Amino acid sequence: MAGLLRTLALLWLLRQAYRLLRTLISAAILAALWPLTLAAAASATAAWALGWPPARLYRAAARSSPVVAVWALAAAMRYRAWRALALAPVRDWQQATGLLTHGRALPALLLTAPLGVPAGLAAGGLWWQRRTAAVAAGSAGRHAYAPAAFDQRQWRRQARAARGLLAAPGPFPLVTRSGMVPAGAVIRAVGRRWTPVLAIPFALFARHMVIVGASGTGKTNLMIRLWAGWYAAALTAATRGKPRPLLCALDCKGGPDARAKAARTAKVLRGAGARRVAIWPDDATVSLWALPPRDLAVLLHQMTEHGDGAAAYYADVEQAVLMLAVCAPGGPPGSAAQFLERLDPAWLEDAYAGDPAALSALRAAKAHAGDIALRYTTLLGRLGPALDGPGCLADADAWYFILEGTSEPSVAEAQAMALTELIAHAATDRTAEPRAMLLAADDYSAVSRRVPLSNLYERGRSLGLGVMVSAQSWQGLGADDDERYRIAATADGGLWVMQTPYPQPLTELAGTRRVLESARKLLGPTWGDEGSTHLQHAWTADPDLIRRQGVGQACYIQRGTATFVQIARPRPSPLSLPAAPARPAGRAAPVPPPRVRAPRADGPPTLPLPAVPAGGPPPPGPLDDVLGPAGGRP
Amino acid sequence: MNPFAALGLPAAPGLTDEEVRAAWRALAARTHPDHDDGGNPAAYTAASAAYAQLRTPWGRSEALADLATTAYVPPPTPGASAPGTAVLSWLAILPARVRRGRPLRLAARAIAAVAVALLALTVIPGTPSAPAIATGCALWLAFTALADIAPPPGR
Repeated sequence: MAGLLRTLALLWLLRQAYRLLRTLISAAILAALWPLTLAAAASATAAWALGWPPARLYRAAARSSPVVAVWALAAAMRYRAWRALALAPVRDWQQATGLLTHGRALPALLLTAPLGVPAGLAAGGLWWQRRTAAVAAGSAGRHAYAPAAFDQRQWRRQARAARGLLAAPGPFPLVTRSGMVPAGAVIRAVGRRWTPVLAIPFALFARHMVIVGASGTGKTNLMIRLWAGWYAAALTAATRGKPRPLLCALDCKGGPDARAKAARTAKVLRGAGARRVAIWPDDATVSLWALPPRDLAVLLHQMTEHGDGAAAYYADVEQAVLMLAVCAPGGPPGSAAQFLERLDPAWLEDAYAGDPAALSALRAAKAHAGDIALRYTTLLGRLGPALDGPGCLADADAWYFILEGTSEPSVAEAQAMALTELIAHAATDRTAEPRAMLLAADDYSAVSRRVPLSNLYERGRSLGLGVMVSAQSWQGLGADDDERYRIAATADGGLWVMQTPYPQPLTELAGTRRVLESARKLLGPTWGDEGSTHLQHAWTADPDLIRRQGVGQACYIQRGTATFVQIARPRPSPLSLPAAPARPAGRAAPVPPPRVRAPRADGPPTLPLPAVPAGGPPPPGPLDDVLGPAGGRP
Repeated sequence: MNPFAALGLPAAPGLTDEEVRAAWRALAARTHPDHDDGGNPAAYTAASAAYAQLRTPWGRSEALADLATTAYVPPPTPGASAPGTAVLSWLAILPARVRRGRPLRLAARAIAAVAVALLALTVIPGTPSAPAIATGCALWLAFTALADIAPPPGR
């Protein structure tokens, strides 16, 4: 028994002696390489205190490599022999150590800095990488809570560093020289290479994006930044022969702040180079009647709600009457008044005189024509004059459509249906100038019940139309889970997940990554010396981290990677765009394009129709603000 | 005719409804034909037409676009034009970019870089480390200074 105890004590002593020897040798090496040790310690401490990832230290080391090259060049010119050049670092080290022992720290540091700093940065990065990996795996730290506490502390520091970067004006232009769109400062990158700024390639905007975030999380900032960045990038591409950009933003929620948001968007877009920014329905109108007749008839039918059972019969009757009214031989209606006039059976009988099949259908539907006319009079009256022209999407560089989805949901749904159809038509219209288009639906949940945006979304790529959808929650993305997954799972351009209480379905789309997880035996409150490590799968985009995100923070999920960013406020360059070239003297100003769409050349001849009374009150005169209506005169 | 000039306003995209309205009211009050001296009917008519055009943001967008006889052309991308031209245009707008960025911080960076470089050249003259440190200071300034200057126009 005593022999066994003696053997065990000896083994323990040997182990401790080995540890002590190892520590002493390490300390001696670190002391001998003091310039490198100092630089590595300083860089690793900075990384720990400021939340820098190891990649930042590696990047700094790589960027300081020209210093080493200049040092080598200067040494080569001085010593002019390979052997002397190879021993130059040792000579510098000897000289610096001598200076240090005599208390002259500054020349010693300066002498060794050109080699010590780059090497120290790389060594510090390597140590910091090993340390963070060990803590994350649970194999480092002094107590069981160490990994969680370390992660939380580093997240706070990383977020603080990202916010600090946002204060600088330079790193966040709307678009970079290479056509990338910077979105914000990277807080943490999972599964991808770390860069200080997250920049989105222009091509990804054509592959659709989804933005989900609760109200007040900075969603509007993100969207305006992406819109303006896309616009500036597309405008740059236009100089290389690509189509000019056309942005269509639908604010589906509306409300009192919609106008302020629209004005801010217009300001940023003008800074990005947009000349004409139209705000609908306040400043500009579009014409629903510009759609091809069959599409128009289908759209008008879809804009009214239909039921099941017996109601389906009336829906069919309504569709037949609409088709007859819109596709009448004289051409499609040019305005709401013309369309409503056509719902009169007498008008239809005149228009289809000589067409027995149409007249037969008309006789069958005649009993319901009055109801249908009443229904569409109500619908078009509620939609207002802003869809009744004049004007078309090509008139402007960017459109901001305000739909009152909160106060008038059914009207907003119908308007959204009409506008998305107009945008799809503009994207496919081969007779018009081709445009690079981006359709963005902000607060899409307000109209998602009836607007089949996922159809457009899936067709978008072939149409050359990028689609961006934002909602306040996963549930707001669609009427059911199928619709939501159709929208989210096809967003190849990326998912932006801001603070939201239910991010799981979105984070699942980022997939998992392999991580090491260590289990260690506890002796009281501290670690014991036994344990095991397993390979596990963890979420690439941690849902709990997303729930804890602050204002302006977002998780960008794309191709199985997750990047947490602090979104930069959209601010165009404070410098003015180049002024317009001077017009030669005597040359008249160019005439603005006509706002009324001309009849199609290949269409049927237009029937003579009675004059349409102007809808709504007359526009205010210029004197109204000073002297009241009519210039103050009776 | 330039409607902005008719109202005495700059042809800039940042104008608000209130600014346009104020300019119109001031001009109309001075030139209205109902004044005892007959006002200035020509100026009043021109200002009325200009105000009718500029009273909404969309109208101002249209007017600005009409003032430009050609479409806006962004700055050329690298490789799209002669390298010399790109460098010259970059240098031409550099002072304005510095002025509209963080000039004080940039100046502090530059002073720090020059100070360290001079220190190295003074304390350890003639050694390979001195020019290397000066290079390092220049590199550090080049990499960090870009953060302190404003983006170029349109970006």
